[in-house]
Amino acid sequence: MIEFNGVIKSYAPNKTTVVHALNGIDLSIKEGEVVVLRGASGSGKSSILSLIAALSKPTSGEVIVDTKKISKLSDNFASIYRRDNIGFIFQKYNLIPNLSVRDNILLPLVPLNLNAKEAQAKLQSVMEMFEIGHKADTIVKNLSGGEQQRVAIARANVNNPKIILADEPTANLDEKLSLGFIEILKELKSLKKTIVIATHDPLFFGLDFVDREIEIHNGSIVR
Amino acid sequence: MEYAINALLRQKYKSIFISVVFVVLTFLLTSVFFIVNSMKYELNSTLDALPQIILQATKGGKHYDIETKEVANILEIEGVSDAVARVWGYYYFQNAGVNFSLVGIDSYETQSKESLSKIAQSYELQTQEGQPSMLIGEGVQKIMKKNYYKNYFNFIKNDGSFKRVEIAGVFESETELESNDMIVMSKETLRDIFEMPESQATDIIIKIANPSEISTVASKLKLMYPNCLVITKEDLKVSYENIFNYKSGVFLALFVIALFTFFIIIYDKVSGLSSEEKREVGILKALGWRIDDVLKEKFYESFILSFVSYILGVILAFAFVYTLQAPLLRDIFIGYSELKPSFELPFVFDIQTLFLVFFLSVPIYIAATIIPSWRVATLESDEVIR
Repeated sequence: MIEFNGVIKSYAPNKTTVVHALNGIDLSIKEGEVVVLRGASGSGKSSILSLIAALSKPTSGEVIVDTKKISKLSDNFASIYRRDNIGFIFQKYNLIPNLSVRDNILLPLVPLNLNAKEAQAKLQSVMEMFEIGHKADTIVKNLSGGEQQRVAIARANVNNPKIILADEPTANLDEKLSLGFIEILKELKSLKKTIVIATHDPLFFGLDFVDREIEIHNGSIVR
Repeated sequence: MEYAINALLRQKYKSIFISVVFVVLTFLLTSVFFIVNSMKYELNSTLDALPQIILQATKGGKHYDIETKEVANILEIEGVSDAVARVWGYYYFQNAGVNFSLVGIDSYETQSKESLSKIAQSYELQTQEGQPSMLIGEGVQKIMKKNYYKNYFNFIKNDGSFKRVEIAGVFESETELESNDMIVMSKETLRDIFEMPESQATDIIIKIANPSEISTVASKLKLMYPNCLVITKEDLKVSYENIFNYKSGVFLALFVIALFTFFIIIYDKVSGLSSEEKREVGILKALGWRIDDVLKEKFYESFILSFVSYILGVILAFAFVYTLQAPLLRDIFIGYSELKPSFELPFVFDIQTLFLVFFLSVPIYIAATIIPSWRVATLESDEVIR
C-alpha cells in the first residue's frame, strides 16, 4: 500500500549547508499494518512520515500510496490526497491554540463544505471515540497535554482516513498518558487503519499489536 | 465564512486595532471628499450666478462708487442687452462680530440675478405704514435672533444715527455660500444707510446677448472707462477657483498623509506574516486545505474586516460632514472667520466618491492580506510547521 523506492531527501537550511535526511530508502508497508519507525532524533523518521503525508517531496526516488505516485502530485492534489487519506498526529500536536476543541477537530472538514448535520455527526463520533466531548467548547490552549493529544487524535480521525501517521506522539506525555495513547492505537488498528509511528520511546518497542519495527539510522534503514 | 469570523474574533485586539485605523482613514478620506463635493457644488452654483461683466470705478487703485448715468452710455454699446446699476456693500455687526452682505433692489428694475428677481416680485420692501423693510438670509436671522432683533434691526449710519428697518421675511438661499449672510432691501433704504447719493451706485453689471462677445465688449468698456475696472465672469471664475484649489491643496496634503499611513500598515502586512500566522497556514495545509481554500479563508477574513470598517468610516463621515457640519475640517476649506455668518455644507450624494474610497482602501487591504498568505501557502507545509 505504501512504497518507498530509492527515496533520497535532502534539505538545505542555508546556502552552504545540505542535510541528507534520507539516503535511498526502500520500504513497503501493507494495508492495515502497524509499523513503528525507531531511531534517534534526526535519524530521518519524521522525514518518512512527511513524505507519506505528501507534506514534502523527495529529492529523488518515488513514494507510492495505493498505486498513486504521491511524490509527483501537484500542491493542490497533494492537499486533496491528505484530506482523503491521511490523519497526522504531530509531535507538538499542531492545534490552533485559540480555537475551541470543537473548531480544531472540524478544521479538516471546512474545505469539504459539508452541511452542518453531516459535520456534526462526524464531530460527535470522534469526540465520543476519543473521550473529549465534555471539553468541546474549551479553548485548546487551556487543556492539559493529554487532552490536547486526544484533540489531535480526534482531528486526525474526523475524516476517517485510511492511514494514521504519528510523529513522536508521546514525547510530551507522562507514562500513564502514553499507555493510554497506546490503547487508542490498538483501537485504531482494530478499525483496519494503516498506522505508522515514528518514535524513540521504548514504550512502543515489542508491543503485541505492532506488526513491524524498522530501525532508522542516519537516513538509512538498518534493521 | 464562519472560520473567518472566528479567526477575526480569535485575534480580537489585532482585529480591533486594524479596524480602528481603517475606520479613521476611511472616515478622513470620505469626509475630505464629501466636503470637497459640497464646496464644488456651492462654487459651481455661485459661478453660474455671476454677472457676465462688472464695471467698477476706481480711484487711487481703490474701488469707488460709479455714476448711474453711465448705464445709458453702456446700453448703447453693440452687443449689450442690459446694464443694471447695483447698490450693495457690507455691514459689520459688532455685537456678533460678523459681516452682513447688503443688497439693494428695486422691483421695477431688471435684477442681476434670477433669485433676486423672484424676491423683488414676491415681497414688498416697504411696510403698509411706509416703513422700510428687508428680507434676510437664514444665517442672518439666526444671528439677529440671538441678539434680540426678531422683527427689526437698527443699522448704524456713518453719522452715528440709527436706521430702523423691519424684517419682512426670511429667504431660502439657492446657494448657501453666497447668500446665507445676505440682506435684501430697497435701493433707497440701502442708499440711506450707506449715505450714497441717488446718482451713484456700487457698480454696474452688464449682460451680453451673445456670450462669445463678452471679451469684445469688455475691451470696448476698457477704452471707454480707463479709470474703471472691467471684470468678466471668466476673471471671477479664475479667482474663485484659485482660492478653492489652494484650499484643495491643503486637503491634498492631509489626504497624502492619510494614504501614507495606510500604506505603511499595508507594507507591514505584505512584508510577511508573523510566525504564528505562518504556522497556522502550514497546519491548515497539512490538514488537507488547498492553496485556494487558504486564500478563500484569508479573503473572507480581510473582506469582513475591511468592508465593515469601510462602511463604519463612511457612516461616520456622513454624520460628521452633514450632521455635525465637519467641525475643524471645514474651517480649512471655508476658512474660519468671525466675519461671516454660519454656512451649512449642502448634502451632495456622489456614488463615485464612495467607489473611489472603496477602491483606495478595501481591495488594497485584501491584497495585502492575501499575498503573504499565498507566499506561505505555496511553501512545503513540512518546512512551515517543523
